[in-house]
Amino acid sequence: MVSLLARFLRENRELSTLIICALISLTLLALPPAVKNAVSFIVSTPTLGPVKRVTSGATELLRVRRENTALRRLTIELMEERSGLLACRHENDRLRELTSFLIAFEEEERFEMIPASVIGMPGGRVLEGIEIDRGLEHGITAGMPVIVSEGLVGKISTAFPGRSLIEPLTSASSAVAVTVERSRVRGIVRPRYRSAAELLSWEMDYVPARSDIQAGDRVVTSGLGGVYPPGLVVGEVTLASEGPLTMTVAVKLAVEFATTEQVFIVTGRADREPGRGDRLEELARTLLRNTPGDELELPGNLSGDEPDSLGESTALDPGEAER
Amino acid sequence: MRMGPYIATCVLAVVLDATLAPEIEILGARPDFAVLVIVYGALLMGGRTPIISGFLMGLVADSELPEYLGLNALALAITGYLASKLLDHLVKANIFVQCTVIAGATLLHDAIYYVVYYRNHLDLFGRFFVHQALLGAVYTAMLGAVIYAVARAANWRGVTSASHW
Repeated sequence: MVSLLARFLRENRELSTLIICALISLTLLALPPAVKNAVSFIVSTPTLGPVKRVTSGATELLRVRRENTALRRLTIELMEERSGLLACRHENDRLRELTSFLIAFEEEERFEMIPASVIGMPGGRVLEGIEIDRGLEHGITAGMPVIVSEGLVGKISTAFPGRSLIEPLTSASSAVAVTVERSRVRGIVRPRYRSAAELLSWEMDYVPARSDIQAGDRVVTSGLGGVYPPGLVVGEVTLASEGPLTMTVAVKLAVEFATTEQVFIVTGRADREPGRGDRLEELARTLLRNTPGDELELPGNLSGDEPDSLGESTALDPGEAER
Repeated sequence: MRMGPYIATCVLAVVLDATLAPEIEILGARPDFAVLVIVYGALLMGGRTPIISGFLMGLVADSELPEYLGLNALALAITGYLASKLLDHLVKANIFVQCTVIAGATLLHDAIYYVVYYRNHLDLFGRFFVHQALLGAVYTAMLGAVIYAVARAANWRGVTSASHW
């Protein structure tokens, strides 16, 4: 029997190999789970173990690479978003500042004002004019004072349909009747030029010798001449030196013209006490005008009063002392 | 073919089955590199080589799933034996013959393996066989055709010329 089996195996080597393999396989399948686990561990540790380690490392590397690419893309998107948010924040800050200025100024001075955006700054090395996006149809006329939250900008020199030109304090022909806030010494602030193209500084003229002026004093409009209402900040005294007859007083203007984006045109003095509804409506309109592409509409009855406040205002007359 | 390169190919097949095959899965079907190597082992060497190599490759593959330790070894050993026997009677150098044998061997291996794996849920086995095993067999056969093309381009002896066997 054994010899027969041995002979069969010798003559059918392939089949006998298969039978042996099958017997081993079936034995392995029949092993208890714990033994199977042990055998698997013994088999896989020297064979698939190192491969698994290498491939899991490679897979991890690929995953990290994919994640890195995704994170880079996300970073770019976030940076773009951040840039947009910063622009929004800047605009928000600017509008907040303008709104608070508007509220304070209106409550204090009772002026009627129209907000406008700067759309151009003609001139070479010296700023000769500022172009804004409000014109005749908005009630703008020549001679109206123009201010920002920091102080006086200048006055309207020419009004056109849809736009106007401001004559800023940098203009060679500019002259403002001022007073030193602390000591009430009066004078006229004008620009001083070295040449036609080179502005040196601003000086306060017609200040008598031994006047009470010190560096750091605030200079405001005096209201004389009628072009500018009194109390608007013009600048600060930087130098005050005695002369034989008059004092030489250098003034640093309060407004930074190069970075001005939004201005207010003082269209007149309000005759009546404005209601809260009026102010809110005007503020809302100001904000809407400063938000391009915004489709918001204000309800007609936002204001408690009829919208005729501009019609009741009184325009200021340009004076002789101020040009 | 010498035994050294063949063993190296077997090791590579096991590694590829464990690493690359899941990555190149198409519609749930993945190629079976072990079956490919067994069929080419039967093609080039014949005899007991495909049986033993199939058994060993199966054993290593089984170590991944200890519950069925020995099942892959059994399926691949049977596949190797039948492929070797079948190719004794066929024109081995014909690419279509090779691809058909590869597809048949893949199906045979899957049938043996999954009929035991799904022994309590034969309906699942039928569904798997129709949806994935057939596609996997075609996939593996196409891979075999690619290997044939590469072998022909590289002028490998044995794979593309029946005269060498």
